[in-house]
Amino acid sequence: MELVYFLIEAAVKVVAVFSVLMLVVAYLTLAERKILGHIQVRYGPNRVGPFGLFQPIADGIKVFFKEEVIPAKADKPLFVIAPMISIVAALSLFAVIPFGDKIEIFGRTVTLTIADLDIGLLYIFGIASLGEYGIVLGGWSGYNKYGLIGALRAAAQMISYEVALGLSVMGVLMISGTLNLVEIVHKQAGGHWNVLYQPFAFIFYLVCALAEINRTPFDMPEADAELACGFNIEYSSMKFALFFMGEYAHLIAVCAIATTLFLGGWHGPFLPPSLSWIWFVVKTGILVYFCIWERGTFPRLRYDQIMKLGWKVLLPLALANIFFTGLIMVLV
Amino acid sequence: MWDLEVAPKKLKEQFPDAILDVSSFQGEMTIVVKKEDILPICRFFYDDPDLAFDYLTDICGVDYPGREKRFEVVYHLYSMKRNKRLRIKASVGEAEAISTVESVWKAANWLEREVYDMLGVSFDGHSDLRRILTWEGYDGHPLRKDFPLRGEDFGHYEIPTELPDVVPTLPDEVEGERYMTLNMGPQHPATHGVLRLVLRLDGEVIADAVPYMGHLHRGVEKLAENMTYHQALVLTDRLDYTAGISNNLAYILAVEKLVGIEVPKRAQYIRVMLAEMQRLAAHLLWLATHALDMGAMTVLFYTFRERETVLDILEHVTGARLTPSFLRVGGLAADLPDGIEEKIKAFLDDFPRRIHEYETLLTKNIIWLKRTKDVGIISAEEVINWGLTGPVLRGSGVKWDVRKAFPYSSYDEFDFEIPIGEKGDVYDRYMVRLEEMRQSARIIRQALDRLPDGEVNCYDPKVAPPEKELVGKEINALIRHFKLMSEGISPPPGEVYASTENPKGELGWYLMSDGSNHPYRYHIRTPSFVNLAALPEMIKGHLVADVVAVIGSIDIVLGEIDR
Repeated sequence: MELVYFLIEAAVKVVAVFSVLMLVVAYLTLAERKILGHIQVRYGPNRVGPFGLFQPIADGIKVFFKEEVIPAKADKPLFVIAPMISIVAALSLFAVIPFGDKIEIFGRTVTLTIADLDIGLLYIFGIASLGEYGIVLGGWSGYNKYGLIGALRAAAQMISYEVALGLSVMGVLMISGTLNLVEIVHKQAGGHWNVLYQPFAFIFYLVCALAEINRTPFDMPEADAELACGFNIEYSSMKFALFFMGEYAHLIAVCAIATTLFLGGWHGPFLPPSLSWIWFVVKTGILVYFCIWERGTFPRLRYDQIMKLGWKVLLPLALANIFFTGLIMVLV
Repeated sequence: MWDLEVAPKKLKEQFPDAILDVSSFQGEMTIVVKKEDILPICRFFYDDPDLAFDYLTDICGVDYPGREKRFEVVYHLYSMKRNKRLRIKASVGEAEAISTVESVWKAANWLEREVYDMLGVSFDGHSDLRRILTWEGYDGHPLRKDFPLRGEDFGHYEIPTELPDVVPTLPDEVEGERYMTLNMGPQHPATHGVLRLVLRLDGEVIADAVPYMGHLHRGVEKLAENMTYHQALVLTDRLDYTAGISNNLAYILAVEKLVGIEVPKRAQYIRVMLAEMQRLAAHLLWLATHALDMGAMTVLFYTFRERETVLDILEHVTGARLTPSFLRVGGLAADLPDGIEEKIKAFLDDFPRRIHEYETLLTKNIIWLKRTKDVGIISAEEVINWGLTGPVLRGSGVKWDVRKAFPYSSYDEFDFEIPIGEKGDVYDRYMVRLEEMRQSARIIRQALDRLPDGEVNCYDPKVAPPEKELVGKEINALIRHFKLMSEGISPPPGEVYASTENPKGELGWYLMSDGSNHPYRYHIRTPSFVNLAALPEMIKGHLVADVVAVIGSIDIVLGEIDR
């Protein structure tokens, strides 16, 4: 009986997270356009529904009915599978993210996380890098030189930043002593947010995360000005939309992970434990806003400069951070 | 005071029997030489320390179907040291070739290719003599006088069964090394129009680059040679379509020089004011697209906000935003409308704050610095040898501006600085243009404050119709009006070169009149065309992303490259 309850609970949670996430991804595109519009002294979408609220739906319908073009010389299986990898990897990340404290439903204690894995963090790093395969394969299989360059850039960028990203959260691991994300959040209770003990790691994480999800100023694989959209140049219709959704889901995921690791997860004053997930949403939202904001501000870096930043600046700094964290832990 | 008369004298000493004729028209000296001696003569003019014609402004060809030697190749030289222009001409027969002067000035490379393409004059020893504005395999040479103007005059056209290699690309393998050829454009978001660049890539590093253009070729010069002088004005707006009035001004100055008239002070001041407004609009558009190419998209919306105000003012004055065609031979189409002063003043008061706003986003932004500093460097000597003008020239530290060198339209009465860069990289060109915007705002304010009263048209009977009232009363006024309206103006036979400092560089017109009501030769020396020629030099060894940065910093408009 317990197993049936467990399965029902898991299924409900998966469906809930998936549908809410899809909705958030859709409205994140609207939010991005609205916020950028505000930064750029213009309105943003405001024609479809009040305040343009139905714009994502209109976009979805439009994209869905677009003609789907697959280049004649494309490697078809890979071409079709690439966008799927991209979005599946991005969505799978949410399996281990704790959204809130335990809540009681029908007399049953439910944790607000789909899977409470002991190796949650390792899982995240494993899955997150899989998402890059979508980009690499998508760029390569389309038989387009711009796509190929985009794919190569994506591959190089992934390798460089994965390392620094992993090392930047090492400090958090050392403090918490666990890879379980729920545990990490619990350890931050009472205002002992990791960002206070690991401020540099937080900054490194944010920079690496931006590079990891290919956002400005690190949007090398896409680089619309020089590569004319790079890896997704040959994609159209829903396949293009899948890349797009994958990218935004990934953006939310890295912000949610940052909240979990550094900003105390669902912890916050004023709210009862059953509503603690609101804090999680607020913190993640602020980070997402930051990602949109910096897109409106920064130019794009050059490919070789990104490599230099990754290997010559962020990697040594992240290593130094680990060293000093260890030193302080030993001394104190 | 140094006199240009020295030039033919010295030439005579060196080459006793090379000179066929020396003439002067409207203060411009023309030396006709034998075509066999053109290279040594050019070399002499370039090398002689007293003359130092270090600048090749323009090369163009003229077709005289009746003559024994059918073509004339016209070279416009400029000496920066002496601040003098000199025109050299040489006649070439249809089956003959003239020696290239590419070894003296690199600028000759593309200019000679244009002459070859348009007239079929062949150049001996040219490194890369291919068609440039039309496609390889195109039938005929459009600027020959016997080339038909209309489609119906062409006769029956057969589509060739075997198309020539119209899209030649670079070979991937060179001396055992493998490269990737990347075709950038003509449809590409960052080539600023329909420019096609074939890049040979070693990884992402550019080993070689070959630009192809002409996708926007409309045959402006051919069209204009079959129009009256005023009709040909509307073609000028469409060259550099970001700066319509500046183009109008250059052309109108050439016609006025040809006719030999002076326009009233008020018209000159208004022309300066409008041209500087147009410079602001063009530079704002440049900044928007340049920043966008580098991924900074917010700047685009900020600059477009100010550009909108400028275009509003221009629309208020001229009635059009993009293609004003507002200037007339002898003055302007109309005086300033009421209430425009307040509008311009309000804009000028606001503008410095706005430039500061762009600077806060870019000038000290570390990413912007990383992307622009030490990218696309071109030295002062190179820049002169390539014949580059405008902000690209000044970015390399050469303090030269047509407005100062040959003050036209009363520019000598205005107080403004010529900003220069140091290294000649993308960042320097960016800073030069930003400062130019400030200086333009200064000029506009001075023009507005000191705007003289009086007429905006000169009532010279050669160019201006009589007053409307007289036309109804007096028969001679009626005839004059009718002649001017139906035939247009007929300048005396002669040839002139007039140029202005356009937002993109020196825009010059070589106009030749045979005494009829349409120009015999209407050649445009466009800054973008000459400036673009140096692009492959500037991007070699850089990365793909830098191509976009350098193209943006040269600031090209395909409308005037392809003509």
